[in-house]
Amino acid sequence: MAGTEPSFFVRHEFLIRRLHSLTGIIFGGYVCVHLFVNASIVGGAQAFQKNVLAIHSMGGILPLVEWVFIFLPILFHMFVGIGITVGMIPNNKNYPYEANWRYTLQRATGLYLFLFILWHVFQTHGWFHFDWWLNVAERWGGAQFSPYNAASSIGLIMQNMLVSLLYALGVLAAAFHLFNGVWTAGITWGIWTRPHAQANALKVCLAASVLLGAVGLSAIWGARKIGSSEESIKQAEAIENEMYTVQVEAGLIPPTEHKRAHHADSDETPELTATPASDENPTHPSDED
Amino acid sequence: MTASSTKRESFDVRILRQAAPGEPSRWETFRIPYEPNLNVISVLQKIAAMARNAEGKETTPVAWDCNCLEEVCGACTMVINGRVRQSCSALVDRLLEEHEGEIELQPMTKFPVVRDLVVDRSRMFRALEKVKAWVPVDDYYDRGAGPRESQESQEERYPLSECMTCGCCVDACPQYSKVEVERRPNESIEEHQARQAEAEKSEFLGAAPISQAMLFNRHATGAMLADDRLNALSGPGGIQVCGNAQNCVAVCPKEIPLTTSIARAGRQTTVHAIKKIFDR
Amino acid sequence: MAEQRVLVVGGGLAGLAAAMKLAELDIAVDLMSLVPVKRSHSACAQGGINSVNDTTRQLGDSEYLHFDDTVYGGDFLQHQPPVKEMADWAPKIIDLMDRLGVPFNRTQEGYRDQRRFGGTLFKRTAFAGATTGQQLLYALDEQVRRQHAAGKVNIYEGWDYLGPIIDDDGRCRGATAQNLVTMEIRAFPADAVVLATGGCGLIFGRSTMSMACTGSAASRSVQYGAKYANGEFIQVHPTAIPGADKLRLMSESARGEGGRVWVPRTPQDTRAPKDIPESERYYFLEERYPKYGNLVPRDIATREIFNVCVNEGLSVEADKQCVYLDLTHIPREELDRKLGGILHIYEKFQGVDPRDQPMKIFPAVHYSMGGLWADYERTAAGGLMPGSPRNHQTNIPGLYAIGECDYQYHGGNRLGANSLLSCIFTGLFVGPCIETALKSLDASASDAQFDLLHRAERSKKEMEHKKLLEAPTGGENPYLIHQELGQEMTKAATVVRVNDQLTAAIEKVAELHERARKCSLSDTGVWTNQNVMFTKSLLDMFPLAKALLKGALARDECRGAHYKPAFDMPGVESTDPTERRQQAELWCDKFEEKNRKWLKTTIADFDSKGDPTLSYEDVDTSLIPPRPRLYGIVGGDIIESVWKERQVKKTESGAQGVEKPANGAAEVSRDPVPANK
Repeated sequence: MAGTEPSFFVRHEFLIRRLHSLTGIIFGGYVCVHLFVNASIVGGAQAFQKNVLAIHSMGGILPLVEWVFIFLPILFHMFVGIGITVGMIPNNKNYPYEANWRYTLQRATGLYLFLFILWHVFQTHGWFHFDWWLNVAERWGGAQFSPYNAASSIGLIMQNMLVSLLYALGVLAAAFHLFNGVWTAGITWGIWTRPHAQANALKVCLAASVLLGAVGLSAIWGARKIGSSEESIKQAEAIENEMYTVQVEAGLIPPTEHKRAHHADSDETPELTATPASDENPTHPSDED
Repeated sequence: MTASSTKRESFDVRILRQAAPGEPSRWETFRIPYEPNLNVISVLQKIAAMARNAEGKETTPVAWDCNCLEEVCGACTMVINGRVRQSCSALVDRLLEEHEGEIELQPMTKFPVVRDLVVDRSRMFRALEKVKAWVPVDDYYDRGAGPRESQESQEERYPLSECMTCGCCVDACPQYSKVEVERRPNESIEEHQARQAEAEKSEFLGAAPISQAMLFNRHATGAMLADDRLNALSGPGGIQVCGNAQNCVAVCPKEIPLTTSIARAGRQTTVHAIKKIFDR
Repeated sequence: MAEQRVLVVGGGLAGLAAAMKLAELDIAVDLMSLVPVKRSHSACAQGGINSVNDTTRQLGDSEYLHFDDTVYGGDFLQHQPPVKEMADWAPKIIDLMDRLGVPFNRTQEGYRDQRRFGGTLFKRTAFAGATTGQQLLYALDEQVRRQHAAGKVNIYEGWDYLGPIIDDDGRCRGATAQNLVTMEIRAFPADAVVLATGGCGLIFGRSTMSMACTGSAASRSVQYGAKYANGEFIQVHPTAIPGADKLRLMSESARGEGGRVWVPRTPQDTRAPKDIPESERYYFLEERYPKYGNLVPRDIATREIFNVCVNEGLSVEADKQCVYLDLTHIPREELDRKLGGILHIYEKFQGVDPRDQPMKIFPAVHYSMGGLWADYERTAAGGLMPGSPRNHQTNIPGLYAIGECDYQYHGGNRLGANSLLSCIFTGLFVGPCIETALKSLDASASDAQFDLLHRAERSKKEMEHKKLLEAPTGGENPYLIHQELGQEMTKAATVVRVNDQLTAAIEKVAELHERARKCSLSDTGVWTNQNVMFTKSLLDMFPLAKALLKGALARDECRGAHYKPAFDMPGVESTDPTERRQQAELWCDKFEEKNRKWLKTTIADFDSKGDPTLSYEDVDTSLIPPRPRLYGIVGGDIIESVWKERQVKKTESGAQGVEKPANGAAEVSRDPVPANK
């Protein structure tokens, strides 16, 4: 009984927790880019689609970038985060201090974001891009976002008020979780040590989280605006399809049919739908929604 | 002192009691005749003397820990009206303002209860041993004065050195969890303590020992063990468990800048870990 | 022979210093303490620790002057060799504590800073903020923890010492103790037992001492034949904050910074203090001592405050003795700047801002100068023989006493900032002495031959414990008896001592002792029973209380903290030069007579029922001849010059000093004064 070797996770707790902090910051960097890109939808379907297409113009290296900076960090961060949260003993009732509330909120937002990100990625991207799975996913309301019809497809998704609200909550949770996390990371890594420095850093971090929250909310507002009527969706789709054709023809992006919207009433550019074989790396979730 | 308290004739004290480890706990209420300027210790002294609860039924005196009654020994920590603090400096008049008519006493929540309000805080002292919280002098012979020290350094070390290991910081910490190993029949005190120590081996050190490690890393001779201390702080249950709720600094009766110590420990362990990678 | 071990009882400064030094000497140590050692009473000392240092040395200070100040402050009641040794060691001790990491306050250049304390002209006191005792305690605690981690010290926290184990030859072979949690009683075999168990303030009910300072360890030892010395010498601090649970120290600096002491002229005036006009306030110190005002010496302030409350009935409150210490006339900013720290303490424990309302204060028992009688071996130079097994050994071979629980260093009154020093010094010094003692033994207390002895003593203690638990119900309440004892002792034996009151108190305490034997317990459980442990320590308060009262009654003089108005020696009042001279001569005659009669250690031996018998021992004053303490006495100048002339004459005539040196302290001289009763 005595002298039992602690588990792998206990022995490497320090490294794991520091990686948790690091992956949070890396993924956080991505979230900032993501929300700012999405906010460009406020400027109309064209502006948004331009940004999305720019990202997709990375082509073959996009999956690599995605895995290193997005998927691996967030998966690690999420699962370690769950482990951390399980061990907490919240005591805000007896110790209703501001920092303690942020401590609990950090974990609460973390849990929400865990669920939200899983759902959000499923809903927009579908998790995996095997054809048979995509069919299943679509039936269950997943893989609804089409990168080459970015504004119109997200507009459709956001037509649902409940979805919009859950997204708004997700955006706010992410904004708080990220910058409160940056603040605690500053303590974890020993960047701000004295109370005064910590207080100043907190002000900056909270301001940043308000800003990021606003950017994220504006994206939702923009998407809802596009999705507000059949008319505006149609308009957006027309713009997107035109941009797609031009860019494919210019060789800037590879023609990829599953990244496009498939509405029953959509009858445009049939010539390009006939190239399912061109869909590279179907197993890669390569989505930049 | 206030108008309402001069009229008050008595007040109730609700105490969470437990006869022994492993026994169920229960609340018992005592009625205390009011006088001004009481503190929780004097209330407990009165309870011990009367050994009778609010219903007038005879009961055993409540067990509790105390010694100096001046808030320098750290013995009399308990959870009073939901918040962990020293019972010697917890004034009845203030507590009744917080919560009209009744005071609630509970043992600390993160340590094994021995009896009533007495808990076993030996884990905290064992943690001090883990982080080698001492200056490694050669011997106790006369070798002249210690290293000279700037006023600035003394002013930084002094507050950290006021830590009385009372346990408030860890009791209020949402990351610090209770470890309790029940004593087996016929087990000696020493054997039981050894099993308890083994069980908490990988558990969080808590703010106080982290701060003590920083205190000794700041001292010229103490720093000669800095690497050992940083190994302990980055080992199981080390600095990484901290969740930055910062309750520790808010409840510390000595107002020790614990979160500064924690951030310093973060910085030192970062550098230490990187060094270890490159020195390999 | 099994490994020899030393049991150190008490984990304050003295006990920790001893444990750490013994561990360094590679002696196996068991350290036992009622509370976790870090929570010991030493933590309460605020002021600092004295030693001559590099700067005072250049101003003419020396170890010898520190020694002189200490014996003068103690009214020459100490044997001088131990005090000399302590003063000689003092600078080395501060250096060692500095090396151990104590955060002493620093000068700009990074040297240790020093402040001036009462009873000396030099800035001799090193300090660490306002918590020097705590800081020193922690430094030693850390070293002992280090030795514990290295396997050299076993720590037994939460054990109550029940008494020594003495073999047929009268040698101490260990001790019994009881665990406060499990109630287990164990015999600890030890080849030397070191008592470092502090003072006995709880005999007075409430004092400035911690709750562990019951004196029970000393008492349990005297009940096995150890002698108790100078019990009647108790230091009372003039200004403490009376609390229902304890009396907390209020620093003298409050008066130093302009605080005024007063009471309403109308007894127990119900008006708020600020509503009482100036004319109806009685600034009794200022009126009676116009020259010194509120800054009269400590002992005078203590007596006057006591007097105005107890004898004149002018206490501010009816049910509680106290006077006002008023700072409200001083601007807030000034108070914050100069007294911020100590005012914060008052605010914290009283819930009242002393910047708005006068503080309520009263004198409080603070320190026991007396304690277990302990031996020493003198060198030719007048110091202690290093490594002599006699040093600090009680009259029971193998049982040692150090720190506040021994009587050797402070005589009739203790100098401020000397207590921390005496504790660390005795702890360090006793180490090599015990090493020598162990080497001289041809057996170990852990040898099988002593098993029976240990087992028998343990069973005896178990029986005693059982008997207490089985006491019939409906008897006395130990907590209430303790309160009564405290009231009685505080009334009769603190500041002012009157023989009638002492005689009455002796009777009353004897009666309380009888009643205490009939205590019944409200808790008869077998787990963490604080009720029974308290009752035990209460019973053990009586022998010491009795020795204290008896010693005070017998000692018909004023010396140090022991003040009997009936035997006070007023100064020289006359203005006529011849008459003045005559009066001074008379005064000096009386002083010499008083010393002949009373410059002696009171020694108490106890019978099996805990009742003391007194005898007296000459004091070794061979190094510094006693001289009158004239501070504050009217006509002190003329007395001083007469005294000096006499001293010169004596040296010229080749006579010995006033006192002939005691021939080794171990011999107890026959009592020239009949012991009282």
